[in-house]
Amino acid sequence: MATKSDGPSNSKYITMVSSDGFEFVVIREASLISPTIKAMLRNNFSEAKTGRCVFPDISGLVLEKVVEYLYYYHKNVNVPYVPDMEIPVELCLVLLEAADYFQLDSVTVGTAFRSMGDTLKF
Amino acid sequence: MASRANKIRPIRRPIMNREASEFEPCWNLLRDALSDIHSKNAGRLSFEQLYRASYKIVLRKKGEVLYERVKSFEEDWFREHIMPLITKLITNNIVNMTLIQHAGTSASERRQTGERFLRGIRDAWEDHNMSMNMIADILMYLDRSYTIESKKPSIFAATIGLFRNHILRDTIPSVAEQLEEDFMVFDILNAVVVDLINMERDGDIVDRNLIRKITSMLEDLYETDEEIENQKLYLLVFEPRYLQASLIYYKKECEKLLREADASTWLRHAQRRLKEEQDRCGTTVSILTAYKVAKVVEKELVEAKLDEFLAMEGSGLKAMIDNDRLEDLAILYQLISRVDGTMAPLKNALQSRVMDLGLEIEKMVRNTDFSVAGAGQADADEAGDGADKSKMQPLNTAAQQTAAAIKWVDEVLQLKDKFDNFWSNCFNRDLVLQSAVTKSFSDFINAFNRSSEYVSLFIDDNIKRGAKVKTDAEVDVVLDKAIILLRYLSDRDLFERYYQKHLARRLLHNKSEIDTEKDMVSRMKSEMGNHFTTKFEGMFKDIELSRDLGDNYRDHIRQLGDVDTTKIDLGIHVLTTNNWPPEVMGRGDGGRVDCIYPPAIKRLQDSFYKFYLKDRSGRVLTWVSSAGSADIKCTFPKIAGKESGPLSKERRYELNVSTYGMILLMLFNDVGENESLSFGEIQGKTSIPPLDLMRILASLSIAPKARVLLKEPASKSVKPTDKFSFNAQFVSKTIKIKAPTISSINKVEGDEERKATEKKNDETRAHIIDAAIVRIMKQRKTLSHTKLTTEVITQLQSRFKPDVSLIKRRVEDLLYREYLERIDGEPATYQYVA
Repeated sequence: MATKSDGPSNSKYITMVSSDGFEFVVIREASLISPTIKAMLRNNFSEAKTGRCVFPDISGLVLEKVVEYLYYYHKNVNVPYVPDMEIPVELCLVLLEAADYFQLDSVTVGTAFRSMGDTLKF
Repeated sequence: MASRANKIRPIRRPIMNREASEFEPCWNLLRDALSDIHSKNAGRLSFEQLYRASYKIVLRKKGEVLYERVKSFEEDWFREHIMPLITKLITNNIVNMTLIQHAGTSASERRQTGERFLRGIRDAWEDHNMSMNMIADILMYLDRSYTIESKKPSIFAATIGLFRNHILRDTIPSVAEQLEEDFMVFDILNAVVVDLINMERDGDIVDRNLIRKITSMLEDLYETDEEIENQKLYLLVFEPRYLQASLIYYKKECEKLLREADASTWLRHAQRRLKEEQDRCGTTVSILTAYKVAKVVEKELVEAKLDEFLAMEGSGLKAMIDNDRLEDLAILYQLISRVDGTMAPLKNALQSRVMDLGLEIEKMVRNTDFSVAGAGQADADEAGDGADKSKMQPLNTAAQQTAAAIKWVDEVLQLKDKFDNFWSNCFNRDLVLQSAVTKSFSDFINAFNRSSEYVSLFIDDNIKRGAKVKTDAEVDVVLDKAIILLRYLSDRDLFERYYQKHLARRLLHNKSEIDTEKDMVSRMKSEMGNHFTTKFEGMFKDIELSRDLGDNYRDHIRQLGDVDTTKIDLGIHVLTTNNWPPEVMGRGDGGRVDCIYPPAIKRLQDSFYKFYLKDRSGRVLTWVSSAGSADIKCTFPKIAGKESGPLSKERRYELNVSTYGMILLMLFNDVGENESLSFGEIQGKTSIPPLDLMRILASLSIAPKARVLLKEPASKSVKPTDKFSFNAQFVSKTIKIKAPTISSINKVEGDEERKATEKKNDETRAHIIDAAIVRIMKQRKTLSHTKLTTEVITQLQSRFKPDVSLIKRRVEDLLYREYLERIDGEPATYQYVA
C-alpha cells in the first residue's frame, strides 16, 4: 500500500522509464489500468516510494505506445464506438509482448470491448 | 471482452538453451526478496525487478518449479519463524482455561490471558497476511498463467492457507498427551473468543477490536485452498460454536430470569439483549452472524419460556392488561412479532383475556346490587325519574335491571377502549391482533343473551340523557361507541326489534332530540345497510307528518270557530302500523281493547277523524289509548276551616298523565265530594285493561307527589277490592306535576317478556329464512342440503346467525307446502317447484 506521506507516493503523476532512458510522466490514474503497475504501486516496494517505475526490458519506442494506450483507454473508457488505435505494423510483435507483461490483454475499453491484444490482432 | 480463448501466447524465442542457466539467478533474487518481505524490508526492493524475475521464469515454463519453491519456502519460514511464537502463546494456563475449564480462575485473569493469546494470533496473522499479499503481487504473472492453466489454487490462497494448516489446525503434542485427546489451536481460539464474549455479556469490558480482527481473519480464511465462498472458516467452524455457546448462555440466562425475575424485567432484558447482540455483530463478531444470533436469542430467551412468562402471576400478560402496562405490552409485541409472524401466543392470550374480562363483566353485573339506586352511576343522572322509581316498589327491580344493562355496556365499552388503546399504542396496529380481539369481543358479547337488548337500552339511556345534560360532542362519542358494539352483535334482528320498541317510546313521549335520533339512525344505516333502518325512518316520517297534521287540524278548528272543543288541545301521532312495534300499536298478546272515552274526548276524536278523512278517504284510524298522554288542568277547592297555608285557597295544578289516567280522572269530575268509586266500578265505566288500570291507580293514589286520589284502605299496593275518591286536600309545590308512569320508561324485560320477545323474533326469523330459501332455490333450481344451508347462512349473516336446525325445519315446511321437492335417487338434494 502507498503510505500516506507527502511526496511521490501519492502524487498525481508517476514516471515510467524505458530501457534507453526515456521518461514518461503519466497520470497515476491512467497508469493503474495496468494490473502490473497497479500492483507495483500498491505495495511497499521502491517504486511505490519513489513514484518512478523503471522498465529495463522495454525500449522507449514500445513504452511510448504503451503509455499512449493507457491514455487512450483512460480517455475512452466510457465512450461507445471509439476508433481503433493506430499501431504501426512493425511494432506489433513487441507490443504484444509488452501487453502481456503489463497484463493489458484483459482490460476493456468502453462498450467496444477493445483490448490492446485485440487491437493488435489483424 | 477479449476472451481467454483468444489469448495470444508469447512467441517462443530460440533461447531455450539459456533457460536453465537463467532460472537459478531469478529464483535466488526472489527468495531473498521473500525473506526481505517477511522481515519488512521490502522498501529497498524493486517490484519491477521481482515481477520481471517471476515473469521470466514463467515464460521459460518453469512456473511449476517456482510455485512449489515458493510454497516450500513459505512452509519453512512459517515453521521456523512463526510457529515458535504461537507455541509460546499456548501456555498451560490457556489450555487449562479453555479446554479443561478449570474452575477457580478469575474472570479478569481469564480475560488477560485470553486477550494476550488473541493478540499474538492477530499479530502473526497480520504479518502473514501482509506478506502474502505482497508476495502474491510480485508473483502475479505466475498466478495469471501457470496457476490458472494447471488449475491450482492461486499462490495467495496456497500461502495464506498455511496459516490455517499450520497454526489453526496444529495440534500441540504435549497438551494432547495430557488431555488424551486431539485438539487444535483453533479450538483454543474459538473457546477464548467465546469466553471473552460471554464475559462481555456479563458486563466486563473486553477488547472488541481485537476480537473483530480475529473474526475477520476467520472470514478471510477458507476451508480449502479453493476458497469457496460459503466455506469460510468463520462460517464453517467459528460460527456454529459461537451460536452454540450463545444458545447455552441464553438458555441459562432465561432459566435464571424465570426463577428470579418477573415478566416485566424479562421483557426489557430480552429487548436489551437483542440489541446488544446486534451491536456486537457489528463491532465485535461479524455482521454475517447478526441474523443467526438474533434467532438464537429469540428462541432461547423469548420463545422458550414465553408461555411461562406470560402466565406469571402479578407481572404476566394478565397483569399487563389489567394494569395497562403499555410499555410492557409494546415490548412484548415487538418480541413476539420477531419469533412468530402469526402472533399466536399473544393472540391466544389476548383472546382468552378478553373473553375472561367479558364474562367477568357479565358476572359482575349480575352480582352487583343495583337496588341502591342513588349510588349506581347510571341512575344518578336520571335524578327526576330515578328518585321516584327507587321509592316505588313495582318499578324497583326493573330500574335495577336497566341500571345493570347500562353498567354492562359501559363496562364493555371501557374494555373495548382499553384494548383499542393497546392496539394503537403497543401493537403497531397489527391487523391479526385486531381481528382476533374483535372476534373475542363479538364472542363474549354474543354469548351473553341479553346483549342486543342492553345495547339498545344503553343507546336509549344516552339519547334521553343527551336531551337533558350531555353536550352534543359527548353524545356523539357515546353514539359512536354504541355503533361499535352494534358491529359485534350477530343477532341484529333482535336488536332491531328492541331498538324499535325503545325508539317508539322515546318518540311518542318526546324523550329525545329528534336530531340526535336521526343522527343515530343514519349511523346505523351506514353501518348495517338500508334495510335495517327502514322502519326507524318510517317512524320519523310518521312523527313529522303527525306534527303537520296536528297544526293543520288546529288551523282547521280555528277557522270553524268551534269554541267548545278548543278547550282540549289535541296532539296526535298517526302511526303506520308496520313501522311501529306491535306492543305500542296495541297488537300485543291480549289483542286491543277499546276503552270508553269521556264524551268530550269522544267528540274531539270524531272531529279529528272527519278532518283526517277529508284528504285521505278510506283510511282507518285506530285510537291507541295505551300510548298517549294528557295534560290536565285540575282545580282543588279551598278547604273549609283552613285559614292559612296552601289549603286555605283554591289551587290549580297541571297534571301530566297517560291517556288512561286522563280517562280515569275525568271520571271523578262526575263523582260527588264524598263519594268513592270501587276498582270494579272504574273498570266497568272505562273498560281500561285491569293491569293498566292498576298501574295508573297506583301512580295517582300511592306516589305522594301526585296523590290526587285517595285510596281505601291506604295500603302500598292496589287491589281489585280498593275504593278510590278525590283527594280534595292535595297540595303540591310545583304547578306542573308529572304522574309517574311505568310505560314511558324503557327498561329491561322480565324473563316472561323476554321469552315472548324471543318467540316473536323466531317467528319473524322463520319467515325471513323461508324467503331466503325460496330466493336461492328460484335461482339455482336444484341444490344439495348442505349447500343450501351455507347459502342461507351467508345471505342472512348481516342480520342474524340462523340456527341450522331452524333452517332444516323451514326446508321441511317448504317441502310440505310444495315450494320444493326432493329429487329421486339423490338424497338431501332439493328442486325448486315453479
